Amino acid sequence: MANAQRTGPLSDYRVLDLAGPLGLHCTKLLADMGANVIKIEPPAGDQSRRIPPFKDDTPHAEKSLYFLHFNTNKRGITLDIEKPDGRAMFLELARKADVVIETARPGKMDKLGIGYETLRAQHPGLIYAAVTPFGQTGPWRDYKANDMAGIALGNLLYLAGEPGEPPLQPPGEIAYGMASTYGAFGIAVSLYHRLESGRGQYIDVSMHECAGHIAGYFIPNYGYTGAKPARASRKGEETDLYDPYATKNGYARIFIIPVEQWRRLVDWMERPPSISGPEFEKMSYRRQHPEIVTKAIAEFCARRTKEELYDEGQKRRIAVTPINTAGEFIEMEQTKARELFVDMEHPVIGKYKQFGAVPRLMDTPGGIFRPAPLLGEHNDEIYRGELGMNTDDLVALRADGVI
Amino acid sequence: MSILPLEGIRVLELTTGAAGPTVARVLCEFGAEVIRCETRLRGDGHRGEDPKLWNKKPDFMKLQRGKKSFTVNMQTEKGRKLVYKLAEISDVLVENFGLGILEKWGLNWPDLKEINPRIILIRVKGMGCTGPHAADLTYGPNVGNTMATTYLWNYPGATTATAEPRTQHPDFMGGVTGAFGVVLALIQRKKTGRGQWIDSAQQEIGASILGPKYLEYTVNKREPQPEGNRSLIAAPYGPYQCKGNDRWCVIAVYTEDEWERFAALLEKRGLKSDPKFATHLQRVRHKDDLDKWVTSWTIQHDPYEVMEMVQGIDVCAAVVQDVEDQFKNDKQYAATGFLVNMTEPEAGDMVTENVPVRLSETPGYVRGVAPLMGEHTYEIAKNLLGLSDEEIKQLDEEKVLY
Repeated sequence: MANAQRTGPLSDYRVLDLAGPLGLHCTKLLADMGANVIKIEPPAGDQSRRIPPFKDDTPHAEKSLYFLHFNTNKRGITLDIEKPDGRAMFLELARKADVVIETARPGKMDKLGIGYETLRAQHPGLIYAAVTPFGQTGPWRDYKANDMAGIALGNLLYLAGEPGEPPLQPPGEIAYGMASTYGAFGIAVSLYHRLESGRGQYIDVSMHECAGHIAGYFIPNYGYTGAKPARASRKGEETDLYDPYATKNGYARIFIIPVEQWRRLVDWMERPPSISGPEFEKMSYRRQHPEIVTKAIAEFCARRTKEELYDEGQKRRIAVTPINTAGEFIEMEQTKARELFVDMEHPVIGKYKQFGAVPRLMDTPGGIFRPAPLLGEHNDEIYRGELGMNTDDLVALRADGVI
Repeated sequence: MSILPLEGIRVLELTTGAAGPTVARVLCEFGAEVIRCETRLRGDGHRGEDPKLWNKKPDFMKLQRGKKSFTVNMQTEKGRKLVYKLAEISDVLVENFGLGILEKWGLNWPDLKEINPRIILIRVKGMGCTGPHAADLTYGPNVGNTMATTYLWNYPGATTATAEPRTQHPDFMGGVTGAFGVVLALIQRKKTGRGQWIDSAQQEIGASILGPKYLEYTVNKREPQPEGNRSLIAAPYGPYQCKGNDRWCVIAVYTEDEWERFAALLEKRGLKSDPKFATHLQRVRHKDDLDKWVTSWTIQHDPYEVMEMVQGIDVCAAVVQDVEDQFKNDKQYAATGFLVNMTEPEAGDMVTENVPVRLSETPGYVRGVAPLMGEHTYEIAKNLLGLSDEEIKQLDEEKVLY
């Protein structure tokens, strides 16, 4: 619920968040697990405030639903770290922080005089994570890359889409998500290490390498056998029944690996003669005769809704899932039973439902305690309340465009 | 070598598939000792059904590298008791069998915490441990169906659900997020001395990066639709066809400065920019014509030439690599050592992906090859369970340590 007490396994830790889109999911993971995350935006606002979609399709700094999702639980301040006063205030904040996260181009933070070595000199326990497109070393380290570039180099884009059509971008930002997740893991394991050693460290995360981990087993398979899959629907390749089947109200997918599942499927279909022969129990045989198998299953699915197929198929221990829209996912019984979406209230957005915190730790669960911050919402609370600045200071800093 | 953060942490693994093994694999890279319990009665999905190939699977190697293999038959009471003894001296138990299996074995949280109150249990499930679909049979690639990834991963206006996600991020991102959860529970344990259990749903973790799409529904009250390769904040944007067979390079131009440099690059090569591309708004409006203009240049070049030239003017560009490119043409992977060569005792030379998060003081690394089936059964039975050679032989014959 909105503005509840912050709880969770990281509630003792303070994080300074300078991350752009590449690292937003990282600081969200920490914030949703209870960390005290302070999001530092330039006075003109974070670039992710300009990313669509927007509430009521009205582009506005406080109406980006992208910003709204990725910045839950963070307190927000404005600070121009490129100005001398801004730099000094950042150093002061970093002295009191446990973790700093940035996604700047390699070398930029050093050039501003607020790089890792400077921060470590004043605070040896600091954990500093740089989540960047290519990491801090190598010939491509200074290259620019967005999520789609990460997906492309990681062999996810090449494989997605239909043969003869352009490669197709996935929804969501999977390369950003994986880099952010590895960043959060690196930070957690560094915090654990620090409990013993008292020492912080520098964490270098490469989105490019993280993306290399997502695409199934293509790297080890190629390394061993030279196998190189092409862009194609998955039909006939890994499992014979991977195709989506049209139902009365959309699509469902059936995923058969062990022979028991095949037998259960054929029983459920009341053993159509065309596919009931023992030869069909072999996946290799089914792959050689996709037209027979697909036809029988397509006829079966066309007479049912995707929910009927899902409920009854799973009851029979067959891996059937419906191809849902976003709304259907949100309205699914399973989603509701687990209270995955929580009620929130935001001064501009109003009342709405927000995706909850994962993973779920049973003794020390995180949660969504407050919505994303308004621009500069916590300037007073942090500059006055925590850095001990006074009204004159704040007026002067604002006049100079620092905050 | 420095002391790794998780040295001294013992992880017991009762898993199949990919998401559970990935949790333990990530912990292993940062120092944990991982004991994978498995059985010779049947190879799991990644060892495969043919015993001759159990130790020769590249996918198994990716998931299980650096771990120990302890064969134990959980159908027997003696086997389960041996695992209880291991649980007593372990810090973490990772499991991802169908709901009900762990309960049947007497290792679910209410039982497990009696055995060892300091242990951390992580239960990795497609749909989580509660709710009417908790017992669903799911695999990473088909979890994406329920949470709208498959629906949205399509061409705009598509009428059939055909575009196929080949990613398994609910498996791999799910695994790394699970490892994150385990370390948080270890941090908590330092304070309280107590363990806890974690309900880790692959679907929820995979869905967590789709938040803005769900807000379209909960705030704007409408269903988000597939967007294909469209963007409103960058133009040009997307994969552009290059010289060669099915070769592509992603280009993304975000700012006015970037556009000026990009247009100048093409104009220098005799491709005059159209006045209707003058502003970002016009470029978005005339995307089809803009894409044609860009392609008239990219189609003349190898995708790596395009990437180098566009990055040379400080604009985002990336080759749409296939796996062969990752091995042969990716200069960054080559320089940072991302592809790690290993020699498995039976399979021979294999390649795996390096740890993509580098810690300056306590760098994790690929700590060893994947274990042969039962490779460490004797060692664990002898050293951790304190069994004599005679007892081990007897339990092997009874198909308990099997």
